Amino acid sequence: MPITILAPRPSRPTRKHPQEDASVTSDTDSEAGGVDLDGDLPMTTTRPSKRARLNTTTTQSTAAFEIVTPGEIITDDPQWMRGHGTYVTPSTTAITSSVAGTMTRTNKLLSVRPLRARYTPEVGDLVVGRIVEVQAKRWRVDVGSTQLASLPLSAINLPGGILRKRTETDELQIRTFFAEGDLLVAEVQQLFADGGAVLHTRSLKYGKLRNGVFVAVSGTGGGGGVVRSRRQVWTMEAANGGGLVDVVLGVNGYVWISKHVETPEAGADSSSSSKAAAGITNMEESVSTTMYSSQNDRIEVEAMREIARLRGVVTALVENGLRVDEDMVVRGYHEAVEMAMVSAEGPDDIYLGGERGQQLAAALRGA
Amino acid sequence: MASSQHVLLSPAELAYLHASLSLTPPIRPDGRSPTQFRPLVAETGILPGTNGSARICFADGTEAIVGVKAEVERTAQRPGEETVFLEEGGAGGDGDDEEEEAGQGLDKRKGDASWVEMTVEIPGLRDDDSGTAFLAAMLSEALLADGEFAKRLWINRRFHWKLYLDIILISPPLSYPLPLLSLTTHLALLSTRLPRLKSEGDEDPFFDDDWAAAPYLFPRTTSSSSTPSSTTTKSPTPAATRPPITLLVMAVGNNIIFDPSKEELAVADVALAVSVTGLSPSHETETGGGTAGEKQTGRNLRLLSIRTIDPPSRLTAPGVANAANTAYGASNGTSNGTQKMAEAEAVEGVWRPPRGGAKRMVLGALVQKVLERGGVVDEVLDALEGADSG
Repeated sequence: MPITILAPRPSRPTRKHPQEDASVTSDTDSEAGGVDLDGDLPMTTTRPSKRARLNTTTTQSTAAFEIVTPGEIITDDPQWMRGHGTYVTPSTTAITSSVAGTMTRTNKLLSVRPLRARYTPEVGDLVVGRIVEVQAKRWRVDVGSTQLASLPLSAINLPGGILRKRTETDELQIRTFFAEGDLLVAEVQQLFADGGAVLHTRSLKYGKLRNGVFVAVSGTGGGGGVVRSRRQVWTMEAANGGGLVDVVLGVNGYVWISKHVETPEAGADSSSSSKAAAGITNMEESVSTTMYSSQNDRIEVEAMREIARLRGVVTALVENGLRVDEDMVVRGYHEAVEMAMVSAEGPDDIYLGGERGQQLAAALRGA
Repeated sequence: MASSQHVLLSPAELAYLHASLSLTPPIRPDGRSPTQFRPLVAETGILPGTNGSARICFADGTEAIVGVKAEVERTAQRPGEETVFLEEGGAGGDGDDEEEEAGQGLDKRKGDASWVEMTVEIPGLRDDDSGTAFLAAMLSEALLADGEFAKRLWINRRFHWKLYLDIILISPPLSYPLPLLSLTTHLALLSTRLPRLKSEGDEDPFFDDDWAAAPYLFPRTTSSSSTPSSTTTKSPTPAATRPPITLLVMAVGNNIIFDPSKEELAVADVALAVSVTGLSPSHETETGGGTAGEKQTGRNLRLLSIRTIDPPSRLTAPGVANAANTAYGASNGTSNGTQKMAEAEAVEGVWRPPRGGAKRMVLGALVQKVLERGGVVDEVLDALEGADSG
């Protein structure tokens, strides 16, 4: 069947009737944090705490599905403090939501977690970015944030080793390192006051990306998306003779999946330990020759198939609201391989869209 | 015509995509088979104030809504033999009209392209943007190409329906929106109903108030349309003419790929927008005299229009081979001549944008594949029919 058309389904449980909500919230005690979601009933503070505590869980579970929209008044009780995603209009005490999202509260602090948000850079984040502009001494990089990040020429490893001095020739040849459209993996080095990020690639782990596919799972929030975790980059063994595959999960939601390529120097290092010792100091010198290449290596069909499968796993995770991290991707990948084994088309079947994706997500949730 | 906004992909990505799509069978980045469409969620009749409406959304969040509104409009009279004067149009002329109808049947219905007005709105683009205007032109062209559609809007010699199709893409265009908009328009037209006409002849039109009695613009077949599986089993499909659909088809190497995503379109050698429609059985007997002997496994498809889409791949920058890369270690002083040489000859793993026009063989194969009997288009039409009635 070349096309699957599904009937629409409600994405969330339907909103409860306001009266029901009001009755629940009026039962909660202020210490536990009952919030009047309709903004028309005053908070009550005279409830016994025992009863309130029981009710808190119910309020929170209903509130978890409660979506507030920008401009919606959350409460006008002055006892609450406003948190992220809210604002107080001057001359009133009403806390108003500034984003569309789910409301959370911590003691007396009300905040709204947006359903979709752009990436907010933080120092030390590993990001995957795409060059969108080349300027005289720096690149402007799209990292899925509100602003373009900048990558100064001084923050990249120039070919020829760590002691290489930056010269005017490099400035003139800036496009030989990165040109418009190139993908790179970098680290956030510094933040400007306005939230703009400065990147650097001064490590062997970072640099230009090739031999693979890109997928953007931007827009954190709502449960899905890439989360900050201990390991954002790993190499895994692919099934069906796919060889080694590198996965880079940028914190900004940009994902890169590629064939793992041993640099010839690194291969030599592992074979002879004496060379490795010598190689440590000038490793950058030797490795950097391939750093700015935009020529793909030879990639076998099996590897391409497994890379596409991994990409399918990542998109299926996002579409079904699951978090994307190493654990989930690896488990999801093995699950997908198993699913393909039992499917009608055999192990070469890599399609993970639509119902297959839901099946995969259900298997991951159950495990 | 330029397909869409410039796609920013690195040469390494483009080379990878092109290599994987040129394999036999191609490996698409999302794992679909070459003829497979993206799964979509569809519903009809979502706007209560319209005569017909539909919404389709893809899993990536791309979503389109189409609303169809009909209005009665006086047909512009041109002096000529068919000019109707008000005196004649009244009850007095009824007897003559009936005789005429018996003699000529449907032939006296005629349509005009100006009876359909289509607007396309794409967020982030002006409505007089060339891309938007081209999309609207392509979609309305498919509707009006064979003149059959406008005839459905004929009420009598003095009045006709004027149909306003408002096509709105809700999300930013994550991929070239033509197939999505076309499928949504198709569904909206399938669900479009016009009030039942009560008046007769050339009187001022007078309609039935009962909405439940309103007939569909595209009349439905009785039982087979509700279950798409049964239509495929019956050998002569009784389905009447359906609204046209416009499909985006592209070729990479020897592979023909349907419904390309943005990345896939970025490495296309050729991209075509092909508009087809399923024919009514009466047409089949008229035109398909030679094919009558064949086993009829699907509906007869009729090609309405073909437009070449300029794939963004032609605008991409070529990759630089390692041998010519100064950052890689090639000597800085490489003359322009050697650089050009390196660009001219194909190196494996280096992206080269397609040059030159589309090959005639490839174009022929693309159209052939679309018009294949019982092929992709057939199943898409069946699925859409199922989505509308279900």
